[in-house]
Amino acid sequence: MNGGDMRRAKLLALGLIIAGFGLGLGGARATSPVPQKFQIRIPLGIPADLWEMMIPADNPMTEAKVALGRDLYFEKRLSVDNTVSCATCHDPRFAFTDGKPVSEGVGGKKGARNAPTVLNAMFNEEQFWDGRVKTLEEQVLQPLINPVEMAMPSHEAVVAKVRGIPEYAQRFREVFGGPNPVTIENIAKAIAAFERTLLSGDSPFDRFMAGDPKAISEAAKRGWELFKGKARCITCHEFNPSSPFFTDFKYHNIGIGMKATRNFEALARQIQQMAQENRLTKEALDRLALTEGFSELGRFLVTRQPKDVGAFKTSPLRDIELTAPYMHDGSLKTLREVIDFYDKGGEPNPNLDGGIVKLNLTEQEKADLEEFLKSLTSDWVRRVARGEIKLAAEPTSGNPTPTVARGSRSWRR
Amino acid sequence: MWPLKWKKREQEYRQQREEFFEAVKRLNRREFMKIAGLSAAVFTAKQVVPPHSFQVVDVVRADPQEKPLFRFAYISDTHLYERELNERFVNAALRAVRDVNALDPPPDFVLFGGDLAQLGQPKELELGKQILSELKVPVKMMVGEHDWFLDMGEKWRELFGPENYSFDHKGVHFIVLMSVNEKDFWTERKMTPMERMLTVAQLDNPIQSRFEVGEEGREWLRRDLARVSKDTPIIIFSHSPLYKYYRPWNFWTEDAEAIHEMLFPFKSVTVIHGHTHQLLTHRIQNIHFHGMLSTAWPWPYAPEGLPKLTVPMERPDPFDEADGTGWGTVDVHRDGYVDKHYNLWSRNPITVAKAYLESWGKEAVPPIPEFPPY
Amino acid sequence: MRTAKWFLLVAGILGIALVATSWDRSAAGAQESKPSGGSDRLVVQLCDGETKLEIADARAGEVLPPEKAREVARRMMAAYAEQQAKQVSKWTARDRLTWEREQKRVIEEGYKLFHDWKALGGTIGISCDMCHPDAAATHPETYPKFQTQLKRVATLRDMINWCIENPMKGKPLPPDDPRMIALEAYITSTRKGVPLEPGKH
Repeated sequence: MNGGDMRRAKLLALGLIIAGFGLGLGGARATSPVPQKFQIRIPLGIPADLWEMMIPADNPMTEAKVALGRDLYFEKRLSVDNTVSCATCHDPRFAFTDGKPVSEGVGGKKGARNAPTVLNAMFNEEQFWDGRVKTLEEQVLQPLINPVEMAMPSHEAVVAKVRGIPEYAQRFREVFGGPNPVTIENIAKAIAAFERTLLSGDSPFDRFMAGDPKAISEAAKRGWELFKGKARCITCHEFNPSSPFFTDFKYHNIGIGMKATRNFEALARQIQQMAQENRLTKEALDRLALTEGFSELGRFLVTRQPKDVGAFKTSPLRDIELTAPYMHDGSLKTLREVIDFYDKGGEPNPNLDGGIVKLNLTEQEKADLEEFLKSLTSDWVRRVARGEIKLAAEPTSGNPTPTVARGSRSWRR
Repeated sequence: MWPLKWKKREQEYRQQREEFFEAVKRLNRREFMKIAGLSAAVFTAKQVVPPHSFQVVDVVRADPQEKPLFRFAYISDTHLYERELNERFVNAALRAVRDVNALDPPPDFVLFGGDLAQLGQPKELELGKQILSELKVPVKMMVGEHDWFLDMGEKWRELFGPENYSFDHKGVHFIVLMSVNEKDFWTERKMTPMERMLTVAQLDNPIQSRFEVGEEGREWLRRDLARVSKDTPIIIFSHSPLYKYYRPWNFWTEDAEAIHEMLFPFKSVTVIHGHTHQLLTHRIQNIHFHGMLSTAWPWPYAPEGLPKLTVPMERPDPFDEADGTGWGTVDVHRDGYVDKHYNLWSRNPITVAKAYLESWGKEAVPPIPEFPPY
Repeated sequence: MRTAKWFLLVAGILGIALVATSWDRSAAGAQESKPSGGSDRLVVQLCDGETKLEIADARAGEVLPPEKAREVARRMMAAYAEQQAKQVSKWTARDRLTWEREQKRVIEEGYKLFHDWKALGGTIGISCDMCHPDAAATHPETYPKFQTQLKRVATLRDMINWCIENPMKGKPLPPDDPRMIALEAYITSTRKGVPLEPGKH
């Protein structure tokens, strides 16, 4: 090679090296920036490390995602006729339930189960009264396509509809990135992320447990002793600082729904049959769970063990004052009715949980228990229910700043 | 104020219990259905089937081709107290009867595994007879020590017949063997019948003698077996285990070896026993041993001597009054060996299959609990 | 005069006999604990039943003259006084006896209660031994631990009271009830020597 070629070659080599270096650096820069830690104030009584532990790795929390999820949570266009959103049945005004015995979806169609609260739902071992899905993300997918809830024909239809709403396209792109950010999984992730900000704590009882003896009344204190003692509540409605949700996350048959003269055996055999023929898909199970009759099989739908017929998840008790009516079918209207129900030993039936026995509570004891239960209402939840607080992009307990929701869409129905 | 209200509540409770036991005392069919938790409306309506428990899933069989010859059910160790005292055991017995009656197809017969009464009282035994009489299929009664040692079996024989007997069913020879005899420990101590009964009723009481079939019983067994060909499958119902598991609790039959000698020549022998109130599996040569659940309460596993083949049930939770208790069914195969089903009321049912014993624990292993007994 | 002399003689004989016989007893005792090494020197035991004194210039089995006997007695008293002076512990063998007796008594009391539902206030004929024969499956060495029925870390006596209230359908025993102490004494006595493992499930 001559001198000129040599120089060119050297320049070329140098250029390549620089380019490569630059690309390398640029590549590094092109990946995601250092993530900001999501700011949230965990209410008193909920262990902060537990909250962090239960955020799934594939759905980290960001401000933008939570805001997107919040808007989707209130988005009625996710239903087939634009009348029903998540908030229809999980309404902030009723501590994220709906005040009805069983929920009503599109066209007023009735399901068979009482809407559980979204508050603290992220801490549930499994979702739904029968635990048929594990995560909040999975839970979102089901009501969207259930004919008695939001009645969309398919998940693809949901996605197509959301894609057709221009305000969402940009936000999905910001939050999730990629060429095709509007997917059913991402819709579920956004809503789940929002739900993970709906926490209930900071109740008078939490303050009492934190050391303030005046936080609850003497009657409530007596009720708490009964709850742990004679009334035997705590064994299923577990409460301790490590698990402060008033549920053991297990399934028990206490006899609700067993008074009806249904042929449970026939229903159960049908479920067995469907399972054997591989017809028990997630979708099928979801529909059966809200179909009269099959719904009452409860946990049996998931485990198909005879002992689980009529067994339902132990309901958490925070904000219970605000979430009437009670039980999986909403059949008990007041807290007093609930207490009376347990006092008499539940409803006798072949699968009655062996832990349900007659309690022989006095009138005073029942009143004290009720007072105790009323002390479990979160200050923040009460103010949201009263409309004193509108849900913002960073809902926390304590003193959240009331802000008007973004855009023309308000949080109200 | 508070203690007064508690007293009133107690009175109410006692009154309710009185009414309950009055009903049990009468115990005709209508009353039975009412207190068994079914409404009168349901009872009269023929079309509607009340909720009842059932065995839905057929158990895993080692050889799906081999259908069992027949099935019988068992209810055991009800330990009934007199009516004023304890309704929990009565309710449990009623529940077992109801569950067995709900079996579809019905079993060929029901074995009652002993310890019908808790303290051998005539009233307890009569109550038990009344409850078991609600069973829709024939009952084969077997005596336990709690039934026997108040009056040395007088009332039992009056109500239920001889304590040793045998019968044949679909080619299988069944023997009901009285195996809870005890050498006299009460005469020298000048015990009253009640003291004797209380001594025997206390599982960990060292004063009582060890269970045995005894010389007379062995003689009876010898004569009974003499009439049976060696190829005929044999199933023995016995209250004590007919082997030696744990002496201090009489999970033990003193003359077990002598009994085994009589049984070794036979092609297939199965022993179904009570007394231990737990899931128990054992094998000695050609003899398979299966324990029965109690309807009343579970015993813990003994500190030593547990047969190696036994996969214990998970330790029961006392918050759940039904945990560790239940009833069961037995599928008898052509060769006489059995699949034993344990219908634990608060747990998923467990099956100890014939294949498990035949393979000395290698195949068809029952599920192993997360929290084994202490 | 003669009576007095006679009296003195008898007293003297009696006195010697007394010393000799009591000495014989300790000599007998000493014979059981003869020091090895051949020499059958006299060894006496003090009244604590433990301490032994060797008398160098006396033989075992030998009948001592009165002065010698008195000397031995004096030396025994001196040894005892020295022992008392050197005493570090304020507790005696008598105390230890009392402790053992009381422990045994309370354990036996606990055994009885364990088998007697009426005495514990149970109302449905269920006694502790019906689920826990010989206190099996009580596992006192695992407390305090998270007790699943109480849903909190609890002690043995919390669980005893829970059992009395729930399966036995009685009223929980008040704190410091001697019956509770007796039950704990019996239950723990069945697990003597088992290593502590609080929190074990």
